[in-house]
Amino acid sequence: MPVGLIVFMELVGAFISFLIGYYAMRAYRASSSRELLLLYYGFILLGLGMCLRAATVGYLILMRVFEVYPPLVKSIVEFAGVIYSAMQVVAYVLFVAMYVLQSKRTGEGEVAFAAFPVLYFSFFNPFLELVAVVLLGLVTVQSFINWSLRRSGESFLVFLGFGFMLLSHMLLLFIAVENSLLFFGQLAQLAGFLCLLAMLVKVSRGGEE
Amino acid sequence: MARSREYRSKARIYADILRCIVKHGGRVGPTRILYCANLSYDRLMRHLTRLMELGLVEEAKDGDRTLYGITNRGVEFLKEFAKVERFAKAFGITI
Repeated sequence: MPVGLIVFMELVGAFISFLIGYYAMRAYRASSSRELLLLYYGFILLGLGMCLRAATVGYLILMRVFEVYPPLVKSIVEFAGVIYSAMQVVAYVLFVAMYVLQSKRTGEGEVAFAAFPVLYFSFFNPFLELVAVVLLGLVTVQSFINWSLRRSGESFLVFLGFGFMLLSHMLLLFIAVENSLLFFGQLAQLAGFLCLLAMLVKVSRGGEE
Repeated sequence: MARSREYRSKARIYADILRCIVKHGGRVGPTRILYCANLSYDRLMRHLTRLMELGLVEEAKDGDRTLYGITNRGVEFLKEFAKVERFAKAFGITI
């Protein structure tokens, strides 16, 4: 998978994430709903995590350009990977907390550059990916229930968005077994964020229901 | 088991009052708002005072009757609130 494409996909995802975060903050200011504040923090953390991932790939690209291979590079990439995964896990915990709060309130129930991709795989920590799958699974089920109750286009896009992000983590969980899953994982993540962007466009274009 | 009462944020109550005014032609008496926004008289008057301070509602006299009308700013607030509401609903959040 071309490294430039990874950076592009991450930055697009981060942009959409920040956009949703910004919209959630606007909505929070208008409504003072704590759930929207949790949504804001969750998407800002996801966006920052994706910027970190893009920065890691950028760092590896610079290493190739200047042909500098610091001895600790593998540890640095692994450390960045743990920070990224931890940020994602915290973001998903915030999403789960958001749904818990809502249900309580409403009473409803890539060191040589030839080995760049191999090194990048050490970015992904299987244990934290698994935690992310479990948490995002809960969020996806909740968004599915929300869609099945409301049957609105926006809630379907949110369900699809979280569903694609879940698929992305499930694929990234197995990249140690099959390297090509990285591409499909990135693609699924981008698809998820594009669904959320479509929801945002739909919401901002529509007026009264 | 009795269902808990639906929670309404202050912004939601303001939107309900403004929607009620729009629904009844843009100018309406307090009794009608009281029923359609499901508020007690005291709470309604408190919210109407705040809405007038914010410039979202204006008071008008029709003989002895006091009517409340929505301002352009109120219409803009309603449009913005509708977007916020749709965004929150997309994530399953009731505001």
